Amino acid sequence: MSDLSHYIRQQRADKQLLLMTHVIYGYPTIADSLEMMRRLLEQGVEILEVQFPFSDPVADGPAITHACHQALAERPQLTQCIWDISQLASEYPQSRVLLMSYLNPVMQSGPAQLASLMAQSISGIIVPDIAVEQQQLIAPLTQTGIDPIWIITPDTQESRLKTICSQASGMLYCVSRAGVTGESADKNQALGDYLSRISQHTDLPLGVGFGISDAADIQALCGHADIAIIGSAFLNAYNKNGLDGVSAKLTELKQAIA
Amino acid sequence: MMNQDGQFGQYGGSYIPEILFNSQQELLKAYQDAMADPAFITEVKDQLQHYSGRPTPLTYCSRLSAAIGGAQIYLKREDLNHSGAHKMNNVIGQGLLAKRMGKRRVIAETGAGQHGIASALVSARLGLDCTIYMGAHDIERQYPNVFWMKQLGATVVPVEEGSATLKDALDEALRDWSSNYADTYYLIGTSCGCAPYPEMVSGFQSVIGEEVREQALSQFGTLPDKIYACVGGGSNACGIFLPFLNEDVELVGVEAGGRSDAPGDHAMRFNTDQARFGIAQGFATKFLQDEQGQLQPTHSISAGLDYVGVSPILADLEEQGKVRMTQARDTEVLQAFQQLASNEGIIAALESSHAIAAGLREAADMKPSEKIVINVSGRGDKDIFNIAKALQDQPFNDFIQSYLTQENS
Ligand SMILES: Cc1ncc(COP(=O)(O)O)c(C=O)c1O
Repeated sequence: MSDLSHYIRQQRADKQLLLMTHVIYGYPTIADSLEMMRRLLEQGVEILEVQFPFSDPVADGPAITHACHQALAERPQLTQCIWDISQLASEYPQSRVLLMSYLNPVMQSGPAQLASLMAQSISGIIVPDIAVEQQQLIAPLTQTGIDPIWIITPDTQESRLKTICSQASGMLYCVSRAGVTGESADKNQALGDYLSRISQHTDLPLGVGFGISDAADIQALCGHADIAIIGSAFLNAYNKNGLDGVSAKLTELKQAIA
Repeated sequence: MMNQDGQFGQYGGSYIPEILFNSQQELLKAYQDAMADPAFITEVKDQLQHYSGRPTPLTYCSRLSAAIGGAQIYLKREDLNHSGAHKMNNVIGQGLLAKRMGKRRVIAETGAGQHGIASALVSARLGLDCTIYMGAHDIERQYPNVFWMKQLGATVVPVEEGSATLKDALDEALRDWSSNYADTYYLIGTSCGCAPYPEMVSGFQSVIGEEVREQALSQFGTLPDKIYACVGGGSNACGIFLPFLNEDVELVGVEAGGRSDAPGDHAMRFNTDQARFGIAQGFATKFLQDEQGQLQPTHSISAGLDYVGVSPILADLEEQGKVRMTQARDTEVLQAFQQLASNEGIIAALESSHAIAAGLREAADMKPSEKIVINVSGRGDKDIFNIAKALQDQPFNDFIQSYLTQENS
């Protein structure tokens, strides 16, 4: 079992649901984004997902897309990003840190070089624009023990679900609905069915993301999923009320679990 | 031409968010079925003929050839398609495919607006809803096209993100597709994007080259020595080149040389070391990018050539030495535009004027017994504001001023 799976299982032993929060490296500045990550880790978020900004983030909605473009003004370097978040990961061993990046920055920096930088402290990688069939592209990372986190959608068909589950490790990222990231009114009514369909093929922990923003969303996940993944809601909270907004949002979501 | 994974050499393929996996597979299958159905092919041909006005002529330019004093110059007149550009060829094919797939809504990205207009026209004709994504910056420079798209009943969505040009419009269209694939067809305007788009768009555009072949043989008895086409995404170039791949014809692509070689001043993916292999926007190709893999802003006097990537088919053909890539600068393009207009009475689009610029430049060093064909991918009406501005035409400015004054009084 990978470290990430093991960690999630252990944490789940006495928690109904874990939280995975999504932060964009470099938004609004590199220093401020690191501060935001620190704040979240300080408050005990179980998994921190750090997105390396990309010029063309096609799987992301308006809030994250805009933040990525803002972050690029900081001229972020992927290797520096990994170094910075590795530091955080070792300061907060009670949590786990994942890297999210579109494929092109990973390819340009070189997966092998990244693998050796990530190996010590970063548990997994999410690459939203590659499919499980293309995993050889990030083989140097996965061979180093970094979990590739594959995405499943409500439309993923049975045979493909099987393939993805058979290749997966760490956890699975289950998209709650069609579309890109962002808060949204159209909640997936059949979430329970969707997740139990996935569970038939795997024992891995299931994280659910896209459109999760408030206590009601969190409560709807309890008993069905292992991890709630929250991105745009934190971004919006930060945009409104800065770091205090982020803290308040996390408190609100944690209370919804207890 | 593409292999099983939709690749052309190391380029092409399909690199999309998982949410689009089924839609991409559905499209691939629908496309393969349609191409194997003679009734579909007949319907496409029929619409090309009776709606768009094909075949377009191959026009000999005697005065221009004499003025240049080299090779004989022929123009393939894609400007004479309905809506004034080659974009129509592809839109008819994909529009009919969308209808065949039972979709009720079409989305498209557009740079110069020609693909947007063509999509809006065909959607109206086929009774499909139409939404066009267009960079806010391109809307400013191509407003006449936006006006027509709206008249045709399309919704035009300005894209403010990123560089607010074609690549950002493409990102936005992909996002829309991710949310609405059940009833929506994504009609890509050039031979880029995930498989099967590059092959499909090039296939629908190949009618250009097929006609050139027949017309050359009947009009001058041989194949041309060289063929020139401008290269934005690469669809008009693929269309005119592909039927000549196995012939002794030199195929020359012309990129936007822009203002200078400096990063951000041009849209060259071949004649520069600022572009290299990358994977973005659903496919692998040569992208203008920095060392961190971020796609870079581009510039061209013509919105239609202002794209950061290029067709994977052309990237592969160039690597194999089957296509040569050259470039033309903004200033040279304006001169070529004027030279063609004043010598032959043809107003070419600024995009096409790139091909004309390179064609005229190289024709001068060729023998009068040699023949070149230049693809006039579109007509220049849409560029009236840009051209008037670039030429600093005071009477035109005065006209606009007085027109607005009258309107407001
Ligand atoms: C008239 C015209 N020519 C050429 C192009 C360039 O596209 P492509 O290289 O795909 O043919 C465009 C694109 O908008 C156009 O409008």
